[in-house]
Amino acid sequence: MLAVLLRKDLLIEFRSREILISMVTFGAAVTLLYAFAFRPSPQSMQTFAPGLMWMIFLFVSVLALHRSHSLEKEFDAFSMILSAPIERSILFVSKCLSGFIFLVVAQVILLPLFFLFLQLPLPSNLGQMMAVFLLVDLGISAAGSLLSGTVMRVRVNEMLLPLLLFPMVTPLLISAVKSTAAMMENQPFSQWQLWFQLIVTFVVVYSLVGYLIYDYVSEE
Amino acid sequence: MVGAIAVLWITVLYLVLSVTRIDPEQQMAQKIFYYHVPSAWTAGVAYLLVMIAAVLYLMKKDEKFDHLGLAAAELGTLFCALVLITGPIWAKPIWGAPWSWEPRLTTVLIMFLIYIGYFMVRNFGDEGERTRRISSVIGIAAFFNVPIIYVSVKFWAADAQLHPQPAMGQQSPDVFWTFMLSLLVFTLLFVHMLRYRVHILKLRSKVLKMRYDV
Repeated sequence: MLAVLLRKDLLIEFRSREILISMVTFGAAVTLLYAFAFRPSPQSMQTFAPGLMWMIFLFVSVLALHRSHSLEKEFDAFSMILSAPIERSILFVSKCLSGFIFLVVAQVILLPLFFLFLQLPLPSNLGQMMAVFLLVDLGISAAGSLLSGTVMRVRVNEMLLPLLLFPMVTPLLISAVKSTAAMMENQPFSQWQLWFQLIVTFVVVYSLVGYLIYDYVSEE
Repeated sequence: MVGAIAVLWITVLYLVLSVTRIDPEQQMAQKIFYYHVPSAWTAGVAYLLVMIAAVLYLMKKDEKFDHLGLAAAELGTLFCALVLITGPIWAKPIWGAPWSWEPRLTTVLIMFLIYIGYFMVRNFGDEGERTRRISSVIGIAAFFNVPIIYVSVKFWAADAQLHPQPAMGQQSPDVFWTFMLSLLVFTLLFVHMLRYRVHILKLRSKVLKMRYDV
C-alpha cells in the first residue's frame, strides 16, 4: 500500500510538476538575492555558505510540504484515502518519502546554481556531503510531514506551517550547517561527528513520533 | 491559597532584599536569580504538563485533559516570557550585552516561539475536537524537541557558555533557603493559576456546549 500511495504522489507531481517548479524557481530566486545582497567574494562567502544553503533548502521544503498535503484537500481526496483499509501511519511514511524525494530533486538542481552564483569551490568529499544531505532532508521531511498533516485543516495553514516548522527544526538546521561547514573545510569525520549524531537523533525521534501519532492527526 | 501565596511572596521579597548576602562580583544584579530560576523551573514543569495532558487527551479523548494542557501551555508561555525578560535584565550589567546565544536562554526562546505557533493553531482552528487533537500533537512534538535543542545549541555556541552554574548545595543557608522558598512560591502560584484557568475553561466549554453542542 505504501508503494501505491508513493506512486500516486510522484505521478501527480510528474504530470503537473507544480511542486518542483515552484521549489526550484523560488530557490534560484533566493540564491540570486543572496548574491546581490552579500556581494560575494569566495573567501568571505565560504564562511556563510553553509548557513545560506540550508536556509534556502528549508524555505523550499515548506513549499513542498504544504502543497503535498493541501493537494489531498481537493475533491476531499484525504477522506477517501482514510476510508481505505490501511494503517494511517503508512500515510505519514508515504508523505515523508515523497517530500524527501522532492527535496532531493530540488537540491540536485539548486546546489550547482548555489555554488556557481556564489562563486564557491566544489568540495572534494561529495560522497560524504550527499550522505549528510540525504539524512537532513529526511529529518526535514519527517518533521514537516507531521506538522503539515497536523495543520492541514486549520485556517491559514500556509502561514502556520513555517511558523511551527522553523523553530522545531532549529537543532537539525544547526547540525546541518555545522556538518556542511566542516565538510567544506575538509575536516575529518571525528571533528564533526557530534553534529552527525544529532542529525541522526533528530531523524529517528521525529520519524518515530510522526509514525506513532499520525493516526490522531489524520482522524476526521 | 491566594493569601498564603501573597504572604510567602512578600516574605521572599523581604529575604531577597534584606537578608540574603550581596554577591561580591555581581552585586544587586545577582538577586534576579531568585525570580529568574524559579520562572524557568515553572515553565519547564508547565510544558511537561502540556505533554502529559496531550498524551492523556489523545488516549482518553476526555476534554478535561485538553483544558489542563491549554491552561498549562498558557502559563508555561507566561513564565517563559518572564525568563526571557529577567535573563537580559541580568545579562546587561554582567555580560555587557542583554542577549547572547547561551543554550538555556536560546532553548527557552525556541520553546516560546513553538508555543506561539501552538496558540495560533488554537486561535485559527474551530472550537471542536479536531483543534484539541491537533494541539495535543503539537504539544507532544514540541516537548520531544527540548533536549535536542538544548544539546545542539550547547555545542553550537560553545563560546557562549556564560550562564552561571550555581551549585545550590554549596550555597550559604540564607541563599539556599530563600531560593527554595522562592521556588515554592512560584510553584504554588502556578498551581493556583492553573486550577483557576482550568475552571474557567470548563465553564467556557459548558457554555459553548449549551449554545452549539460541540
